[in-house]
Amino acid sequence: MTTAVPVAAPSLPPVESRPDTVVGRKRFTPLVVVSYVLMFLVIVVYAYPLVFLVNTALKSNTEFLVNPTGLVQAPQLGNFAAAWEQGSFSRYVLNSVLYTLVAASLGTVMSLMIGFPVARGYVKHPKVWQGVFAAMLFLPNTLVTVFQLALRMSLYDTALGYILIMASGVGLGPLLVAGYLNSIPREIDEAAAMDGAGYLRYLFTFLPKLMAPVLSTIFILQAIGVWNDIILATILFTDQAKWPVTLGLFAFKGTYTSEWSLLSAATLIVAAPLLLVYLFLQRYLVASVVGGAVKG
Amino acid sequence: MRSSNYIVFGQRWTAQLTFAIGISLVVLFSLIPAVGILVISFTDIRSLPYLPTSWVGIDNYLTFFSAAQIGYNLAALKNTFVFALAVTFFQNTIALLIAVLLNQRLKGRNFARAVVFLPTILGVTVIGLIFSLIFNPSAGPAAELWAAFGRSTAFFGDPELAMTLVIFVQVWAGIGVAVVIYLAGLQAIPPELYEVADIDGATSWQKLRYVTIPLLMPSVTANTLLCIIGSLQSYQLIYVLTGPSNPATQVLSLAIFTQGFGGAQGGTVQSQGYAAAISMVQFVIVAVISLATLAYLRRKETVL
Repeated sequence: MTTAVPVAAPSLPPVESRPDTVVGRKRFTPLVVVSYVLMFLVIVVYAYPLVFLVNTALKSNTEFLVNPTGLVQAPQLGNFAAAWEQGSFSRYVLNSVLYTLVAASLGTVMSLMIGFPVARGYVKHPKVWQGVFAAMLFLPNTLVTVFQLALRMSLYDTALGYILIMASGVGLGPLLVAGYLNSIPREIDEAAAMDGAGYLRYLFTFLPKLMAPVLSTIFILQAIGVWNDIILATILFTDQAKWPVTLGLFAFKGTYTSEWSLLSAATLIVAAPLLLVYLFLQRYLVASVVGGAVKG
Repeated sequence: MRSSNYIVFGQRWTAQLTFAIGISLVVLFSLIPAVGILVISFTDIRSLPYLPTSWVGIDNYLTFFSAAQIGYNLAALKNTFVFALAVTFFQNTIALLIAVLLNQRLKGRNFARAVVFLPTILGVTVIGLIFSLIFNPSAGPAAELWAAFGRSTAFFGDPELAMTLVIFVQVWAGIGVAVVIYLAGLQAIPPELYEVADIDGATSWQKLRYVTIPLLMPSVTANTLLCIIGSLQSYQLIYVLTGPSNPATQVLSLAIFTQGFGGAQGGTVQSQGYAAAISMVQFVIVAVISLATLAYLRRKETVL
């Protein structure tokens, strides 16, 4: 049990095929009852904060002050419009969508451009490069130098600088690409080359189809990272008009300290896209995030 | 495997050019800053451009251990270790229990898995605000719970309680990944082993102790390492929950941020070289602790 990769498959097999571990097949033994109680507790601990957030977001400020924890009596959908308006969220959301899409796409393309030639040995010293990518996961905290670099390259307080820096945090991308290529035989490369496809055409039109699962994993991992970033945005932007939605929300908290309903509505606005994506891609997202984490 | 000089696509230069374009961005924004941290930790570089920068030798490191700073830094170090140890211990233990629980055939377990994993997607700002709401000292569920026991507290504003709460929120937020890694490990255990154990008359506890846990050790290693490295470097959630300079929750990586950027928007004129020196100290600590943990867990894996 001393092999290098600790956990094998990140993707979960279908429900029915999973073996029971502790509980036997008998129904309603005490252990089963205890298990259901515990599972219910786990669900409450995780669902309650979110339900409470939604509940608060629907209250008027007066209702919240009178009855902070009770179920909402008179739902105020207007809170969302008010928060959206007062927090200038339309601009921040647009910024975040732009940063997330561009940086994650760029990072994914970079991972492909780097990972493929390394995996196939089209560049010199592929082993060295693989070592460099693995080592990059254990680098020191680079906030200060990234800031200095942006400052000296006139990229400070620019959308371009932020996007380039976020995109370059490819992390595992090249390694994931290289790993996935082990399952794509070289013969496919050769067949494409024989049919007259050039390297660029193969890289940018053939490979993305063959590698769609791993490329979308890389995209999702990076997109979550960019959408949720607050620290780099804090140190790289002074111009409020360029802020991503996380900074907008954080500033909103500073301004509307005591208006908890409005603040909850604003928080939901930021969380909504993530919740929606999660609802539809849940199984897939879990596999991506864990696959990425474990291979690190 | 063929030799690495094998060429499929006629000319090699297109491959090398696209590789160079991709790698140059990574080198520029990831590798150079990483090496740069060591370099500028020997300077008095500042956060405003056009100020002269000079070499100061190991002054920044001396400052870190100087009488004026050592109290603050030791406190940050202590907070870092408390935070990392507590998060690693609780996150792993609870995640293992939840994984064993949700690996049983229970109705609704997929829903439970989905909710437990949800915070991983939500990100620190949203999670931070949700828990500011829950632990709102003037009106909220936590305040009512405390009031039921005749107590009141400022929660994140209470120096006695702030660290515990930050640890709680971090564990809450981070457990999803650990649970899924444990679940994948559990499902990789061949069911035949449990059948054999049943034939031998093993109890549930014996099956857990002598089959599940030993075979799960690789997942324990992965989770513990991920969690130690992550929690020694993590500060984003602390920043959102308690601000950049709350002494009760000041950890080393937050100190880097505070020293380098003054905690607020816009730079001050303080030395970022000093912040870089703290980065290096933290880097060495993380490296030593993760290598030691890895060595320890690997040995343990073979023993069990």
